[in-house]
Amino acid sequence: MSRSVWKGPFVDSYVLKKAEASRESGRNEVIKIWSRRSTILPQFVGLTFGVYNGKKHIPVNVSEDMIGQKFGEYSPTRTYYGHAADKKAKRK
Amino acid sequence: MSERVCVGAIAGSFGVRGEVRLKSFCADPKAIATYGPLTSEDGNSEWNVTLSRPIKNGFAARLSGVTTKEAADKLASTRLYAPRDRLPELPDDEFYHADLIGLAVLDTGGTELGRVKAVLNHGAGDLLEVSAKNIKQPVLLPFTRANVPTVDLANRRIIADPPDGLFD
Repeated sequence: MSRSVWKGPFVDSYVLKKAEASRESGRNEVIKIWSRRSTILPQFVGLTFGVYNGKKHIPVNVSEDMIGQKFGEYSPTRTYYGHAADKKAKRK
Repeated sequence: MSERVCVGAIAGSFGVRGEVRLKSFCADPKAIATYGPLTSEDGNSEWNVTLSRPIKNGFAARLSGVTTKEAADKLASTRLYAPRDRLPELPDDEFYHADLIGLAVLDTGGTELGRVKAVLNHGAGDLLEVSAKNIKQPVLLPFTRANVPTVDLANRRIIADPPDGLFD
């Protein structure tokens, strides 16, 4: 069953505080968080969060199309490297 | 830039008519056939690849000069390499993982921070995994214009302006 709309999206309060502090300081930094369950809110767009995956903090650059997802979705707990072959990386 | 790129591997023979079971490592698996002729790791053997049909975990394929099951069996676990210059040109700000891996990472002051070990993407943009000097665990550097202002493939280096505290 999905979450009731009247409750609003769930976000751990410390994530909100850290994001606000980072935005006010204007520094280029990775905001370390452990809350994989928090929803990505519109005010997080443009910030970089280091989302813990049980071992290390994976940098997650928040963009508009990620709003409404959970932070944990972008920080996998298992690693698979595969082969480079002809795979491409795009600098945004 | 590495001269050859590993684009696939032969898993063994397929059927009794000299076809092989081919695993493709390419972003578009079918693209492996367009990079031919492919060579073995030592570069002594060369094959043109024709994909017959998709099968579980890869393709059934025919290699030029391989006509019997025995010959196909002998090629099991052979890695297939394509010349780097056979890969198509990319637009600005797009790079092949194979080109980025191994580049030296320097900060804006010219101090070497480490080397690119792998390129990852977990859905939130590409990340460079940098094996940093003096840090045990590899560091993940977001591959953005702000964090990586310069990629100098000719001189095999990247100039990075990493977020505060990332390499501490």
